[in-house]
Amino acid sequence: MAVVAPPIVKWRPNLSKLLGGPKAALCFSAVILFMTWVDSLALTEDYIFTPYFKHILFVSLIYSVATLSLNFVSGYIGQTSLGHAAFFGLGGYTSALLTQVWHLPFWPSFLAAGLVAAAVGVPLGAPALRVRGPFLVVVTYGCGEVFKFIALNLEITGGPAGLPGLISPSLGVSFAHIGPTGKEAFIVAALALALFLAFLMARIEDSRVGHAFAAIREDEIAAATMGVNLAYYKLLAFVLGAFFAGLAGSLFVHYLSFVSPDTLSSNESIMMLTMVVVGGARSIPGSFLGAFLLTFIPEGLRYFKDFLGLSYDPWLVLFGLLLIIMMRVRPQGILGAETVFRR
Amino acid sequence: MILLQQMINGLALGGIYALIAIGWTVVFGIVGLINWTHGEVFMVGAFVGFFLIASFKMNLFVALGIAMLVSGLTAVMIDRLAYKPLRTSPRMAAFITALGASTFLRYLGALVWEPHSRAYPPTLDFSVLTLTIGSQQLTINSLQLFIFAVTLVIMAFLQWFITQTMMGKAMLAASQDFETVTLMGVEVERLVILTFFVSGLLGGAAGVLVGVLYAIDPMMGAMAGLKGWAVAVIGGVGSISGAMIAGLLLGVVENLTSGFISSGYRDAIAFVVMVLVLVVKPTGLMGFKFEEKV
Repeated sequence: MAVVAPPIVKWRPNLSKLLGGPKAALCFSAVILFMTWVDSLALTEDYIFTPYFKHILFVSLIYSVATLSLNFVSGYIGQTSLGHAAFFGLGGYTSALLTQVWHLPFWPSFLAAGLVAAAVGVPLGAPALRVRGPFLVVVTYGCGEVFKFIALNLEITGGPAGLPGLISPSLGVSFAHIGPTGKEAFIVAALALALFLAFLMARIEDSRVGHAFAAIREDEIAAATMGVNLAYYKLLAFVLGAFFAGLAGSLFVHYLSFVSPDTLSSNESIMMLTMVVVGGARSIPGSFLGAFLLTFIPEGLRYFKDFLGLSYDPWLVLFGLLLIIMMRVRPQGILGAETVFRR
Repeated sequence: MILLQQMINGLALGGIYALIAIGWTVVFGIVGLINWTHGEVFMVGAFVGFFLIASFKMNLFVALGIAMLVSGLTAVMIDRLAYKPLRTSPRMAAFITALGASTFLRYLGALVWEPHSRAYPPTLDFSVLTLTIGSQQLTINSLQLFIFAVTLVIMAFLQWFITQTMMGKAMLAASQDFETVTLMGVEVERLVILTFFVSGLLGGAAGVLVGVLYAIDPMMGAMAGLKGWAVAVIGGVGSISGAMIAGLLLGVVENLTSGFISSGYRDAIAFVVMVLVLVVKPTGLMGFKFEEKV
């Protein structure tokens, strides 16, 4: 008698599929837009969603873009990069300098920020052609640190103090003057950027480029044998990731109206990688999840700390533990596919 | 003359870098893991040494010995608790665990010992020797000489351990071909514990020596650990003599950088050199080639 295998309920892939679909994106945008604009419709002076909450919302969206863009390198071609904040900060510094020193308007500087970061992505991605895995991690980390030292030491970048007083982007009206808190337009812009990138990535995944990325990730030598141009696709992944990280960095520093070497720091890079790892590499909803979780949890813990009267911030200690536990329990991330890291 | 002066200044620091680098390189060579927590083991060593000397008024050498032991045990503990359950899982998972363990320990250190820097109490009487050659002066600090000598002694001892003792030979063999060594009847887990212990000993020694020379704080592990890895890479991962040479080289180059270019770029130079070495010759100065197998 034939043994009938019990049907395996694959709830996780189904969930990923559901969350990755256009409907989920629509719902997500609707919720964000609702939270952003409901105050403008309200008749009272009190905030329903406080400016602080909107700030965290904006930061989460910016980190979502950064996390998604890191996925090109750490997800698609399966190489871990610890230098992503370098692109992010580089974009920030580029548009800061362009608007402040050369007095360009925001939008061309915004594009230039992405392009400069992408251009730097080529030499920073070049080591990836020669070294892989753990060695590449250290190279990208080293490059990020070098950028930080350059920003700290050059006069034009303002040294450790950074560059304050950056202009706010505008579309006729300055972004800072739109909405009750002045953060609404920024949230919409970040959301648009994140959705555009998510859409692009969803389209790339099943394209010729996406298949080439997958081939490189799964087996480099086999991919090369099948005629995949390793150098081209690896650099492409770095350049694409750098471009969007640069854009996110530019929007972020103009939101803060301030850029400092902290935006380039290795801690930021580690945080971005953690968002990818926690959310799940190569998963678009996973990137959003990782970015939102890792932005909201520390802020929540800050409340908790004040509430309990702790003298230290428990997040930094818990953050390390979170990574350890994540690797033990679910190394591919909450929404990640089954094989992410290979030996 | 300035060149010579900066080179002398760089030697003590270079010896310390070499010690840290060897700690990285033995673990990578045998376990195949980038042990990101090595900087934190180094920090623990520095703090244990500090409390032994400052609070218990111990002799420097006794404190150095105890700090080394504690660091060694810390490294073994990290391996048992964090890495061992992941021995068979992908390398990247172990690496990210290491990253997490490192952040955890670093901020735990900052929590317990408070994140401000402190200096060791004066441990040794040191004198400054000034040589006059022609019209120029060359100063040699006996403290730096002492540290350089201690690092040399430790390295000589390590070299003896690895080439002359059975355990050391097993470690050397494991770094070349781990699977064959297991087939030869070496107990792998014991070897791994020994490796982490040796790595921790060296890290702890470096921590105390840095404390004697400079100041210590709970965040010190981040930069020093990374530089140690950079040195290990420059020297060729898995190569102990390479790490020694690269460490001394980096110490001197850093001092030359701060002397001739700008002290602001002092910390960046290690990474620039490392990236260049990795791109030009990925095996490092004295490393052996990792064969790519299909």
